[in-house]
Amino acid sequence: MKKLLTTIAVLATLVAAGAAKEVMVKGSDTMLNLVQNLAEAFSTANPDVTVSVTGGGSGVGISAVVNKQTDIGDASRAIASKEISSARANGVNPIEYAIAIDGVCIIVNVSNSVEKLTIEQLGQLYQGKVANWSSVGGPNKKVSLYGRQPSSGTFVYVRDEAVKGEYAASMRQMNGNAQIVEGVKADEGGIGYVGVGYAREQGIKVLSLSRNGTDFYSPLDKEAVDSGKYPLARPLFQYTNGKAKGDAKTFIEFELGPDGQKIVSDQGFYPLTQGYQDRNNANLQ
Amino acid sequence: MPGYLVNRNLTVGLYALSRGGLHFRRSKGETHMKKTVVAMLLAILAAGSVYALNPGESELEYNGWFRYMNQSTKFQVTNPTASRSSIDRNYLRASHQWTPKLFSKLSLDFLSSSSYADGASVRIKEAYVDMGLPIKDFTFAAGVQKHYFAETYSWDYTHPDKELSDAQGVCASADYGATINGFLPGGFGELQLGAYNGEGYKVTGAKNSVAPELLANLRLTPFAGFQVGASVFTKAKDISPFANSTGKLSPDRHLWFNPDTANRKKLAFAPMAKVAVGPVSLTGEYIIYNYTRDYSQYNADSTTGKVDSASLTHKTKDYANAGIDLLPVVSLMNQKLDVFGRFSTWQAKEQSGDSMPVNKAKSLMRYGAGFNYHFLRRAGGSKPAVAVQFAWVHEQLEKEASPGVKVDPVDTFILQFRMEWSHLLLP
Repeated sequence: MKKLLTTIAVLATLVAAGAAKEVMVKGSDTMLNLVQNLAEAFSTANPDVTVSVTGGGSGVGISAVVNKQTDIGDASRAIASKEISSARANGVNPIEYAIAIDGVCIIVNVSNSVEKLTIEQLGQLYQGKVANWSSVGGPNKKVSLYGRQPSSGTFVYVRDEAVKGEYAASMRQMNGNAQIVEGVKADEGGIGYVGVGYAREQGIKVLSLSRNGTDFYSPLDKEAVDSGKYPLARPLFQYTNGKAKGDAKTFIEFELGPDGQKIVSDQGFYPLTQGYQDRNNANLQ
Repeated sequence: MPGYLVNRNLTVGLYALSRGGLHFRRSKGETHMKKTVVAMLLAILAAGSVYALNPGESELEYNGWFRYMNQSTKFQVTNPTASRSSIDRNYLRASHQWTPKLFSKLSLDFLSSSSYADGASVRIKEAYVDMGLPIKDFTFAAGVQKHYFAETYSWDYTHPDKELSDAQGVCASADYGATINGFLPGGFGELQLGAYNGEGYKVTGAKNSVAPELLANLRLTPFAGFQVGASVFTKAKDISPFANSTGKLSPDRHLWFNPDTANRKKLAFAPMAKVAVGPVSLTGEYIIYNYTRDYSQYNADSTTGKVDSASLTHKTKDYANAGIDLLPVVSLMNQKLDVFGRFSTWQAKEQSGDSMPVNKAKSLMRYGAGFNYHFLRRAGGSKPAVAVQFAWVHEQLEKEASPGVKVDPVDTFILQFRMEWSHLLLP
């Protein structure tokens, strides 16, 4: 009997050792490239753990956490009250980790004399209420709007935070950030919004923004983004059911650590401030 | 903020409160207070979306349930009509998000049955417009929509059979009306207030509703794994289906019931609770449903059936119903397999003179078990895509075959394939 139990224990250990460990990550398309790069670097350092990253959108990522279908859910927006309520009813306690900060940049053609805008002016431009750059201190040139498709989290974010209404029907809905940059580069009246990682191209200019019309901040100013003074700064989140455990915890710790945050910078996003790191640490422990 | 989350906009408001709102001073404090109040109001009124779609997007959805049901007593099929294959759900749904705060949906229920002249019929299960309100996470919906009573509105069907309140005729799962729907900040729950016809989506006009049904529902989720709530609806008066007929003779042919029957003082109340720990959950609800029926009758000649026109009498009868429904579920194999049990009771009492005896023909106890196997789930896992469901239900009526001996129990076996999909249409 003792022999049999020993054999079973050895076999179980061998099976466990041979089984590949996998962390499933699902959600935001905005974060897809970033998290795939983080996963690749993590798997290089931890070859026994596979991190599979898929998109689908922030809603899918959060829903997958709520329904216990993934280890980690990516979201470029915060979880909503409705989703927290569903999660709790399912016995799920969603815990939030910010892994990077994104500063959405407003870009214009390099020939445009406009250097800064208020959020109100930006909203009027994107609603189509201001159709000529001369109305906001620029040249006598027709405004051409460039933006993302409605499935984009950035489309929703800029609409909710700046446009505060409907985008003008004339806005060209581009497939991605690179297409917006190319469009604005080739269009002297063009204006677009892109992630900070796409804003350092030639032929375009990044505008400073202000909430009150007095204090203007650039998204290229890390301090302004970190402090939230720049109006279009947003954290990018991951969610787990309860405090992260096992390999999922190790992966999140890697993302939040120096190596992970370097990848965040390399991918064009901003690394986390101490405030976010402190909150993450509290949620991890 | 370890361990739990709060709504981000509420956080902004609370942050403002912690910065200035708790230290009011005469001059500067007033400014602080104003700022704080403004910040709190902005937090509460902040634009937020409770909708799954983005503006311009549309979604097509299909729910098809192919079912085989077998109903038997002592393994002998006793109800051939119920023992058959059928398409139990055949819904086609179309949703469209017009603007960030304007949404509309149409759900058509296609029924295939030989009881319809053309072999099929169609009903409108949902047809409503939903508008965001200035309060965050609150919307107003008007049209044919969910009826937010008890577990009827979950439309979850972990158990393939109907919810208790739907099965016992307390209410339908959808109805014509207007509702305010909201989610409490921080994920602490949801609430609905509504005014409906009260007849259900299938029978509009049949009961000649003469007063709106008023409904309130509250679900609280104070922490992960626990939900508690209650729903209530009341209706001053409606007229029963007999209103559209000429009346009817009683089975013993002694009485002729007039068609002017009306149900009034309808009141239903259903507290519920759900506990979910790891793979195990238990949902329980208790339903109370009371109403009074007004009707009139004539004496009739039992041989000829002829009515004595001078014998008209008006009557009133109280009805009191109550039931329990318990649904334990264990989810296994990474949510692929749900194993469930179910226990329900229903007790119907009808006034007889000054007492309220149990109507044994309408009182019952049910129990059973089954499983769901999900071959596929839709993105995010909140809804099934392809699943097989099996359930066994054992039902014992209180009705007696002879004094002291209950009628034989009925066993029902349900085997069902669910085929459901949704497709997003980008603008």
